[in-house]
Formats: sequence, C-alpha cells, structure tokens
Amino acid sequence: MNGILKDKKAYLVFLVPGIAFYLFAVFYPIIDSVRLSFVEWGGIGPEKFVGLENFARMFKDHVFYESFFNNIIYLVIVVAMQLLIGLLFAVLLTYMNKHVSLVKTLYYVPCIITTVAIGQMFRSMYATEPMGLFNIILDAVGLDNLVRSWLADINTVLPAVSFPEGWRFTGMYMVIYYAALISIDPEVSEAAEIDGANAWQTLWRVKIPMIKPVIVLSLTMCITGALRGFDIPYLLTNGGPGNSSELMSTYMYKQAFASNKFGYGSAIAVFIIVESILAVVILRFVSGRKKD
Amino acid sequence: MKKALLFATVLLTAVSMIFASGSSEKDDVTTVTWFASRPLGGEIDTTMREIAAQYSAEHDGKWVLEVETTADRPSYLQRLKTLIAGGNMPDIIDIDADPYCQELVDAGMLVDVKQFLVDNDRYDDFQEVALRYQEFEDGSMYTLPLEYHIEMIWYNKAIFEQYGLEVPQTMDEWLEVCRVLDENGITPIAVDGVDRWPVLRYMAMIPFRYTGNQYILDLRSGKASMGDDLGRQAIEFVQEIGQYFNDGFAATDYATAQSMFLDGKAAMYYIGDWEQRAMLEGYENGTIDYFLMPMTPDANTGANEYCANSGIGLAFNAETFDEKTKDFILYVIDNYGKIYASKQQMTPIKTELPEDVEFSDLYKRIAADMDAFGTNFMKPWDTYLDPSTNTIIQDNILLLASGDMDAETFINLIDSSIQDYVN
Repeated sequence: MNGILKDKKAYLVFLVPGIAFYLFAVFYPIIDSVRLSFVEWGGIGPEKFVGLENFARMFKDHVFYESFFNNIIYLVIVVAMQLLIGLLFAVLLTYMNKHVSLVKTLYYVPCIITTVAIGQMFRSMYATEPMGLFNIILDAVGLDNLVRSWLADINTVLPAVSFPEGWRFTGMYMVIYYAALISIDPEVSEAAEIDGANAWQTLWRVKIPMIKPVIVLSLTMCITGALRGFDIPYLLTNGGPGNSSELMSTYMYKQAFASNKFGYGSAIAVFIIVESILAVVILRFVSGRKKD
Repeated sequence: MKKALLFATVLLTAVSMIFASGSSEKDDVTTVTWFASRPLGGEIDTTMREIAAQYSAEHDGKWVLEVETTADRPSYLQRLKTLIAGGNMPDIIDIDADPYCQELVDAGMLVDVKQFLVDNDRYDDFQEVALRYQEFEDGSMYTLPLEYHIEMIWYNKAIFEQYGLEVPQTMDEWLEVCRVLDENGITPIAVDGVDRWPVLRYMAMIPFRYTGNQYILDLRSGKASMGDDLGRQAIEFVQEIGQYFNDGFAATDYATAQSMFLDGKAAMYYIGDWEQRAMLEGYENGTIDYFLMPMTPDANTGANEYCANSGIGLAFNAETFDEKTKDFILYVIDNYGKIYASKQQMTPIKTELPEDVEFSDLYKRIAADMDAFGTNFMKPWDTYLDPSTNTIIQDNILLLASGDMDAETFINLIDSSIQDYVN
C-alpha cells in the first residue's frame, strides 16, 4: 500500500481523469463566462467586444440591485434555517437513545426528493385554490386574515420561495452536525460537568467551539449555495410577480436565455462567482481572526 | 520517457472518456432530427410520428425521423438557443415567427418556407389565416404551421343565468358582467398567471379593436409609446379587468385555472379551441358555452376578427435542407390535414373531413366560426416584441393586473426596453 502511494505515477493515474473532467466541465465554462462578459452577443453571428460595458450597465440596472438585495434576504433565511435549525435538531438528536437512525433518515429525505417535486409540493401548499396546507393551518388556528396566495403576494413571495430551500437541506446539515457532535470525546463533556457546567453551558462553551471547523465549513457551503440559489425560486415563481422574488441567478438566466443577452448574462454570472469567492474569503478571515 | 508515455496514455484515456460519443450512423439510413416543443403524445406529435413511420415504411426503413421533445416552452427555448449558439442547430426546429426567428433568418440559417410552398404548388393548400400568422411584417415566411386555432371566452351558463347576465357584446358590458359577478362573491375570470401569456392577451385586446396589429407593430419599432392614448387604454383595461381575476392568479398555473372554471369556481375562462376536448362535456350538457372577443364602440376590426393563431411553426435548417428532407415535408403536407382532422383537431391544411369520424357539435361550431373569420386577426404581442421587452412585459404585467404597479412605471419600463432594442 505504502509502495503504491509513494509512486508518483499512481497519483497521476488517479488524479488525471478527475482533473481533466474538472478542467472541461467546471474551469472551462467559468473562463468562457468571463470571456463572454466582455462581449455583446445574442447567440447568433459574431461576438462584439464591448470591454467593461456589460459591467457598467449591470451597476446601473435597477433590477440587478433588486435581485442582489433579494438574494441577501434569501441567503439570511436559507442560512438561518439550514444552520440554526440543523444544529438544534442535531443537538436534540444527541439526547436520543432510540430510533436515532430512523429520525436521521426521515429528516434527510427532503435532500433526495427531486427539485421539481419540491416545487410542485410547495406551490400546492402555498395556494388558495385549492386551499393549500399553510392556509388550511392558518385558517384552523384562527389566523384566517393571514390566508393568501403566498406566491402571488409581493410581500410574502420572497420568504415563500426561500423557505423550501431552507427546509430541503436542514436534514443534511443536521446529519453533519450530529456526526461532529458525537465525535467529541465524552470525557470532555464529563470534565465540564465535574467543573460545574450545566448542559446549556457545556453545549455553548464546550461542544459548539469544538465543532467550529465543521460549522465554518457548513456555513461556507450554505452561503455559496444560497448565493447561487436558482432552482426552487425559478420553478415556483420564475422571479415574479414582477421581480419580487428575482435572485441573481434567475436574473442571470433570464438575461442570457430569455432576453438573448449572453454577454450581459455572463457579466452577472461573473459577479455571482466573485461575490461567492469574496464571501468565502471574508468567512475564513473572520473565523481565522477569532481563533487567533 | 516512461513517465511521459504513461502521462500521455492516462491523459488520452481521460480525454477520450470525456469526449466519448454515443451512437454511430449507418451510411444507408438518413436520419432527420426534429427538435420539437409539442406535448408528447398530443395530436400534433402523434400525427407527425404516424406520418414519419408511414414515410419510413415506404422507403424501406432507410429514412428515420428522430424527434426530441421538450414540451415546456421556456426550457425548450433555452435548449434551442444553446444549441444554435453552439453551432448545432437541428435539421427541423419549432419556432415562432418572432424577432429571434428574424435574427436566424437574417443570418441565413432558415429555409424560405413561403418560397418552398410556392415552388412546390402547396401554398394554396393551407388556410390563409394560418399562413399569414406565420408571416413577418414584410410578408416573408420561414415557418410552417401544424395547427390552427381561434381563441374565445368560455363561460358558465348556469352562473350567468343565476345572475341574469347576458353574453357581453362590448368591452364595457364585459367589465359590467365581471362587476356583477364579483359583487355576488363569484370569481369572474380564472387566469393562468404562471405562464404570463394569458394575461398579455388582455393587453392586446383594446389596441387590436382600434388598429388591428398596427399599434403593436409601431410600439415594437419605437414609433409608438406605451404612454400613447391607445397604450394607456390598454393599460387601464388590464388594470380594470385584472381586479376580476381569481385571487393569486399570478401563482395560478394552467391546469388549476382550467379546473377552477370547469369546477364552476370561476364564471369565465379565456383559452383557445385547443382545449375543446376539456370543454366538450360541459358544452354538450349545456353548462358551458363560449363567446368571442367583445367589441369597442368605434372599433376598426369586426366582431368576426379576434385572436387566431397557427401556433409555433416548423422551421428548417438551411444547411441540411436537402432533397430527402424536402420530399418528406411535401409528404407531410399531403397527408397531415386528414390525419390531424380525424383527431377532431382544427387543421391548418385544407382537407375534407373524414366521413368515418363523428365530429362533435362543438367542433362544427368552432369550424363555422373559423370559416366566418374576417381578414384581421389579433396576433399575440409576445410574437412581436424583442426577447428582452418580452421578458419585461410578461414579468410586470402581473403586477399591473394585480394593482401592485402603477401605469407610469409600467410605461417607463416598456418604453425604455424598446428604445434599448431599437437603438
């Protein structure tokens, strides 16, 4: 075994297919998006080089800003649901002795349901015709004044499209946190208890700090995922009504494929890549500084 | 040396894995690809497959039509545009005669269908309106129709009778009918807002009644403004009638809107004759009927002129349109009408109705309305507007109809988008 790992040729054999696939499937499209962001092109005929015009236009576009701020709200809701609720469930799960696997599996199920099915399910639950689950519950508990078509109301549509995305991956983050929490040496918790810490203090002062690397990693995945959020909002509302639930990625898609502005769409795509990288850098900087 | 050789081998394997392609073509079999956007198993799809199978059998299986279907229109258009942008345009595509299609024409990528029909003596085989719908403003035509429809307002007769309502003859009467129904707690109109286009139809109505399609032609070329008198009238009409749409219409999809009407939860529903099968039972038992687009007091278009269309058309890749494909298309034209009509569909190709099929009264009535059709037809705005303005108008008309956007904002959005396109 050691002999094989010392052989550099073996590394090549295993690495090259993956790297080649990455270069063609990920790296090349990103580079081509950057290139396209400097041209004006409708998908037919020659491309016209326009320099930074697409970016200049982007920063003057009011829908771009609307999408950006919508995306921030979307991100806050999604990250709060996935990380906080995921963490809460994981902590509760550590206190369970029976049926842990069953609960984990049940909470994980939304991750494996196809996006289109989730879209249809929530579209039905938010509807007033026929009355959806949310509205039935509101009506049953006497909050009938809140009954509405959640996806048609410009005041509720953005949280309504964010919620399914948050719900969908809560179980996945719960499993990640649970795995991290149960990997903590029980002696550490016992030592804290002997020192007089109650369960709450043990959790906040001992366990959570110990799984901080996992939390930072989850936060990175969650934030970059939310910044690129597309499928559920697109399926539920296509960014509407108007641009009330427009996100950066749905706006990028519309510009490229509905408006045939491949150059402008690519400029927005480049912005999404840059903001995702920036978010990761800031997160690493903040988490690293605290450690120092 | 050994290392370099190994590296080259591994790289070659990896690259070949990535680029490994699927099937190989047999030399003696001609395969033509149709990238379609028709409902799978629908009447057009089955008719075309039937004809292709028949044609293939007559040519000893040496000819194959490969159909790749993406029925969902936005997904279809995205895939089509990606294929074309990547230089992989299929042999036959579905496309509306819209500005994007015009760009393909300008780039010399599509076959002149009008010329093809004239050259092969098939032009007069088609219904005139069906062909004119496929034409560009200059009269040229690059798409072949496979369907022919008129659009109407279906209504629930029982609800109308209950409130003593008559079929409206004018737009004002129509609004009045809606008002009465609304006051009595009945949802006047069920609307599919998810697909946007049904709402856009309401905006086209008033300008069509006064100018035919001239207003939208002027608007899209920047000669008219959405803020002109006619544009404002169109906006006001959408705002007025929008308050009578079902609650949450912006999130109501096609199937839900239709079931609302069929279940008696809404009194009216605007849709074309392609849904006649869904309406048939109600029509035959006397609960459902339809009326055509109402008039305005000083209308310049007739009561027998309203929205008619021949749907998305077939277009042919100019590079691959060879003699074999031409022969197949002529075969389609010669056989399509009869087979399609036998499925109780309105055909764009003139044909004698098959005697072995019993056509419903509803079919016959729609056919009679089609025969009585005038010369002007309301062409949907989404086939006129450039892609960017189309996206903007379709997104924002929902807000306009629901009262969440004022007329001035809407006017500015549309006018500035059109100016951008024109410039």
